[in-house]
Amino acid sequence: MTVAESRSTEVTGKRDPADLALAPTLPNAVAHSEEELDEHILRFPIPDRIEHIITIVSFTVLATTGLPQMYSTWPPMQAAIGAMGGIETIRIVHRVAASVLILASIWHIAVMGYKIYVKRVRMTMLPGWDDVVHAVQALGYNFRITRNPPRMGKFNFMEKAEYWALVWGTGVMMVTGYMLWNPIATTRLLPGSIIPVARMAHGLEAVLAVLSILTWHMYHVHLKRFNKSMFTGYISREEMEEEHQLELELHDEGKARPMARNKENKRRRARIYVPIAGAITALLFVATFYFLTFEQTAITTVPPSSDASISVPLTPTPPQVQ
Amino acid sequence: MGDNPISPQAPRRFALLRALLLTAACAALIGFAVFSIEARPALGQDATPIPAEEPAVAPSQTLTDSAALTESAPAQSTLPQFTGVPAGGQISAPDQACRLCHGDSTDTKTLPSGELLQVGIDLAVLENSVHGSHAIAAIFCTDCHQPRQRYQFPHAENPAQTRHDFQTEIAASCQSCHVSIELHNPGHLQAQRAGTNENLPTCTDCHGGHDVGAVATMYSDPVGYCQSCHAIADMEEPQVKFAHEQFVGKLSADKNCQTCHSDQVQTQSQQCANCHGLLDTSAERTMEDGTIETLNLNVNAHDVIMSVHGDRMIDGVQYPALECTECHSDMGENGFPHPPDLLVNRAQLRTSVEVNCVRCHEDVGNQAADGIHAERAAEGELNAASCADCHGSHLILQPNVPRTRISDTCGTCHEDVYTQYRTSVHGSALYGRNNPDVPVCTDCHGAHQIDDPGTAAFRLSSPEMCGDCHGDEELMAKYDISTNVFQSYVSDFHGQTVTLFEHNSPNEPTNKAVCYDCHGVHDIQSISDASEEEIQARLLITCQKCHPNANENFPSSWMSHYEPSLEHYPIVYLVSLFYKILIPTVLGGFLLFIGSDIFRRQSDRFLRRREAKRGKKSDTNPKNDAGDAGDVGE
Repeated sequence: MTVAESRSTEVTGKRDPADLALAPTLPNAVAHSEEELDEHILRFPIPDRIEHIITIVSFTVLATTGLPQMYSTWPPMQAAIGAMGGIETIRIVHRVAASVLILASIWHIAVMGYKIYVKRVRMTMLPGWDDVVHAVQALGYNFRITRNPPRMGKFNFMEKAEYWALVWGTGVMMVTGYMLWNPIATTRLLPGSIIPVARMAHGLEAVLAVLSILTWHMYHVHLKRFNKSMFTGYISREEMEEEHQLELELHDEGKARPMARNKENKRRRARIYVPIAGAITALLFVATFYFLTFEQTAITTVPPSSDASISVPLTPTPPQVQ
Repeated sequence: MGDNPISPQAPRRFALLRALLLTAACAALIGFAVFSIEARPALGQDATPIPAEEPAVAPSQTLTDSAALTESAPAQSTLPQFTGVPAGGQISAPDQACRLCHGDSTDTKTLPSGELLQVGIDLAVLENSVHGSHAIAAIFCTDCHQPRQRYQFPHAENPAQTRHDFQTEIAASCQSCHVSIELHNPGHLQAQRAGTNENLPTCTDCHGGHDVGAVATMYSDPVGYCQSCHAIADMEEPQVKFAHEQFVGKLSADKNCQTCHSDQVQTQSQQCANCHGLLDTSAERTMEDGTIETLNLNVNAHDVIMSVHGDRMIDGVQYPALECTECHSDMGENGFPHPPDLLVNRAQLRTSVEVNCVRCHEDVGNQAADGIHAERAAEGELNAASCADCHGSHLILQPNVPRTRISDTCGTCHEDVYTQYRTSVHGSALYGRNNPDVPVCTDCHGAHQIDDPGTAAFRLSSPEMCGDCHGDEELMAKYDISTNVFQSYVSDFHGQTVTLFEHNSPNEPTNKAVCYDCHGVHDIQSISDASEEEIQARLLITCQKCHPNANENFPSSWMSHYEPSLEHYPIVYLVSLFYKILIPTVLGGFLLFIGSDIFRRQSDRFLRRREAKRGKKSDTNPKNDAGDAGDVGE
């Protein structure tokens, strides 16, 4: 405790004395190991990191194989498609990657349900009015209008924007992608014009997503400072202080832990949730594969070009056309 | 001959005088003949076998000088001409004696060869012949039966061994008057001089002896006349026999053997035309491989004159009409009659004709050699078109005048396709309204280098082919057709795929629709007459060709070449508009925030450094917020 406290003081030497003063009074500070309190705080447990890697891979593959299709009239994109093995190949790759992302999304929902219902974690990703205020404050701070930067929780407005953009984007892409993948099935229920709508939305949403990643995500976690927490799992106290002050305070107070204290209750909820969610997830997995493979969109052969017989045998020297 | 007593009417005075004179003359001649090996050729021609007894100098009273005769009878004359006037009138009826004995004889003489000669002649027949009383001048027995001296009464035995010898001797005297014999029937005379054939006819074999006929009389059955010796069945060379089988018996009144076997000097093309003008248009010809082909051997020489190969001006140079052998050079090398074409089959026949064209038309020849017809021919397809199949052989005209001629030409073999094309929007405009803009066969398929339309490459490049015209603003404006059809196709799923295939793997087939999968290949129809419902119904059938499970909603998933707008496909348009606003807005917001963040960090850094220079510690400033400035880039 004392060691941790002294180190904390060292690291956070520039902190507001008022904030600093809170630390020694935390009743549950013993909840962490000394190392965690020391420098690094657990931000993403391993399953989250795995999800992120899966998302990186599938998103990159989807963008790489998708955008050239969007801009296929541009010669460099044509060359790119050729280099990747041709349009038919990248379409298959695109669909495989899409399947991976869909399954990851289903998994993510199931895991989120577990965390919220069983573990009773705080819903730190939920957007709120605070985030709007924080964004305005941050802009004001950056332009030197206000003196102090916003004090933000575990996920600040920038991260929430990105997360929910991903949720929205993935949703749009899954729905429109499904329509493009299964146009026959789609048009059994919806008017045919939904297909070009889906095509338009799928392509433009992809542009939006990729550009967002290249600007927003790239700047905030790579350029501004390489935030390695998504790979190491741990975030430094220093980074916490800069962007997640409120969370750091909760952490130091020991309030950042899941709220489920009663192990018996947790087990009871798990007994309810796990079978149900497991069944639903499994069902969704199977349904995904079913929906993505059940339609025979088109014949696999080249359509017959002409029903006329090509040649009608002629006399050796046909009569001359006058 | 000559056993009969002299006629009592013969004047004795003359007889005695003539006997004396002739006895002396005979003695002199016999003496001369001993030293003469060969008689002087009558008209300077080569050795026609003439009996040794013939006098070296012909009797002056019956023969005009041969040189003078030649001058008076132009060599160009077309028929045997009567050019000499025997001066027999000086002596009245010098052959009275001959007629007395031979006029009523029924005797025969047996030659050493065993052949019989009739001693008697029918004077009436002689009288009615061209040598009879209708002749321009009197012709006496000894004018033909020379030498005259031999036949003085009572004349000796004729030395002829055979009937042929006898006739040959008489034929020699024909040339005394008929100088055009040099040109007449050169075949017989040439062979005669060459001595290769002992059975050659003499003049009398064809023209008759005492019944020598007017030419017109002889020509009443000229072919039969010739055939009495030249029976078709006896012809040895197969193509000669074949040719004669073709036209002998079908000759019109103005044609006969001499139409071809003329005594006139003929150009090679005339020689060709002689036979081929008469040959059958559909002659059955057995090829070397045993197949029987029907060939058109008939050539109208006039066709070539009227064709593009007739008299023509190219680049200011006047060219004469092509001669037959300029194309059929292998025939020209061998002259008339040409050897038979040893054609294995139709494929070889095709090649043998095509090389003739390619000799001059090398560029199109090379193009055609890369085309589908040549490819099929190389694979053994005997019906694949060659140059002449499309262009014709002799009557070659401009292939595109009128423009329908192009499609008509293709249609001679591709009838099914042709029929479809004629009813299509393009074909009906061509044939119905003589529209110059619509494509004919060659506009899509090419004229010479015709690519196989069944290949992946053809399929992939076909939209660009359609786009050549349908992307032409000026052209389409005439018909109020949108030029956006190509771009709207390419920007959709099908067109995008096809474009990528064409770019990345032009020979790999794809089943994504190209223009003709929906619009039809040759039976392209206009939609302008159809109602919206009809179009949708047709579209569903079209879609179901590739998308068999499609229902009636499905066709409208294709935007029918429309660009999305508030009018057409408004939701697509609005979604596009939404993103066109959303993307700049979101990105603008992002960039604004990022920019502001960079500004704050950089300016903090700058301020901190300035303060450090002034020797102030940043941590002494209580207003400076923790971490912000210090973290930038560190």
